[in-house]
Amino acid sequence: MLLTQDDWYETSRDLDWTFSYVDRAAAFPTEWTGAEGIPEDAWEAWEEPFRVSYRDYVRVQREKESGVKAVSNALQRAGSYDQLPASHVAASQMHMGLITMVEYMAVTMQSRFCRFAPSPKWRNLGVFGLLDETRHTQLSLRFSHALLKHDTRFDWAQKAYHTNQWAVVAAKNLFDDIMLNADCVEACLASNLTLEHGFSNIQFVALASDAMAAGDVNWSNLLSSIQTDEARHAQQGFPTLEVVMAHDPGRAQRIVDVAFWRASRIFQTLTGPAMDYYTPLDKRKMSYKEFMLEWIVDQHERVLEDYGLKRPWYWDDFLYSLDNGQHAMQLGLWFYRPTLFWNTSAGVSRDERAWLNDKYPQWEENWGVLWDEVIRNINAGHIDRTLPETLPALCSVTQLPLGTAMSRDRLAPVSLVRDGRVHHFDSEISKWCFEQEPERYAGHRTVVDRFIGGEIQPMDLPGALAWMGLTPDVMGDDTDGYRWAREYATESKATESKA
Amino acid sequence: MALFPIVGRLVGDFIPHLVAVDTDDTMDTVARKVAVHSVGRRVAAPPGVPSYDVYLGDRRLDPSVKLGELSLLPLQWLDVRIRD
Ligand SMILES: [Fe+2]
Ligand SMILES: [Fe+2]
Repeated sequence: MLLTQDDWYETSRDLDWTFSYVDRAAAFPTEWTGAEGIPEDAWEAWEEPFRVSYRDYVRVQREKESGVKAVSNALQRAGSYDQLPASHVAASQMHMGLITMVEYMAVTMQSRFCRFAPSPKWRNLGVFGLLDETRHTQLSLRFSHALLKHDTRFDWAQKAYHTNQWAVVAAKNLFDDIMLNADCVEACLASNLTLEHGFSNIQFVALASDAMAAGDVNWSNLLSSIQTDEARHAQQGFPTLEVVMAHDPGRAQRIVDVAFWRASRIFQTLTGPAMDYYTPLDKRKMSYKEFMLEWIVDQHERVLEDYGLKRPWYWDDFLYSLDNGQHAMQLGLWFYRPTLFWNTSAGVSRDERAWLNDKYPQWEENWGVLWDEVIRNINAGHIDRTLPETLPALCSVTQLPLGTAMSRDRLAPVSLVRDGRVHHFDSEISKWCFEQEPERYAGHRTVVDRFIGGEIQPMDLPGALAWMGLTPDVMGDDTDGYRWAREYATESKATESKA
Repeated sequence: MALFPIVGRLVGDFIPHLVAVDTDDTMDTVARKVAVHSVGRRVAAPPGVPSYDVYLGDRRLDPSVKLGELSLLPLQWLDVRIRD
């Protein structure tokens, strides 16, 4: 008689044993487990949030794989790529460049759980997590490789993390920190619980739905398939949070609060502009802010409440940022377009502007006036004045430009001096993150630090572009060739003749 | 005389920039070097020839004072305001 899963499951994953010739502390150093201050037997309470056998896992994953592959083969034959809107394609190139290698970093993180997680059940689940992330890496590389013949920008799926492109440096800084540098407990709370359970919805659900609407069935399908894995392995965060809450709630609160802010800044950079500016207007379902409120904020608040955590102290500032940060980022991305490896859609034609004003009542006052000057320059033929001549100042924690977290009204210096070096921050929140563990962040050098340190030669914008690995075939430009600005030309001439 | 990096923000613009100035630059020169990255790019130029004030925190700096006399750390944030 064959045993059912329930008969053997408990025994099969209870692989802990009592060490006889080595100290437990040597086999599981707390620097790796992150279990400092948590009694060993506390981990017995760690219960799997889902049960899966290897046989079942492989069967289900195999089905998913063949589903994705069938769709992508059919679409490649149909040549559907050529019909996609340019701004939408830009969003997929940005995603592939900035996310593919993060999937691979997640393989390493899950492997660390397999070896060093403080609970044998968790170590067991880590195996499925690492297989998931291997699949995500391979899927993304396969997708990008197939599109290389259309555009060399898809090469950045593999190349990006081997360059110094500034957005990559910022993303790498976060993921190095919470996936590769963190111990198991912290990696789990920051990456599984906060990032995957919370934020990956916005990249893999919202963007998948926008991609489907834009006609990119291939990419949409890939994102949705990845999300089915994310939704499962993200749950490793819950039992971990439960154990840490029982023994060191202050640490749990700090890890989650830092991770939530840092993740929200990266998604504001990536997904914010993609949703509010790149997705074709008639295909937009929700604004970035609406999606964040409904899918991320509500869910995060529920998790906080269920596990006895407090709302982060910076909640009001975070909500203010949801009204502004992605707009700052978009204006910055567009203005600094030669520093990107994807083309950028301005997304501020009259109709799009009406949508922005409807979704964000402060948009005109905070951002529209700045775009107006850009539009005047385009229509007067001064493209040179719509391009940068120096670098923006950068945040010592997020590595993102100062001024891109809030609005220009609230822009004020937030800085501190440590060992004779001035550190600037994009917000009081980022400064607070730094102050939690100054030695963790102080040694990181932003692109600006490297520039003034003489690493970038010649010390000008072309020198910086070469240093970032940006070649003319990938360097970003306006997706629409500035045609979107023409409809403003009449009004713009009128203003100029008055002046 | 030495090249000196500051963080310069033209008040009204949305980001401050890394600006290379010289320790011999007066505040008038510093102001122009900061403003060039914002005025006429994202912030509309005022009519006529614009003049500027430089602020260190809340303190308005004398237009003729030289940057080197302020003994600042590299990457000090200076605000530049269009004078009206
Ligand atoms: Fe993944
Ligand atoms: Fe994941």
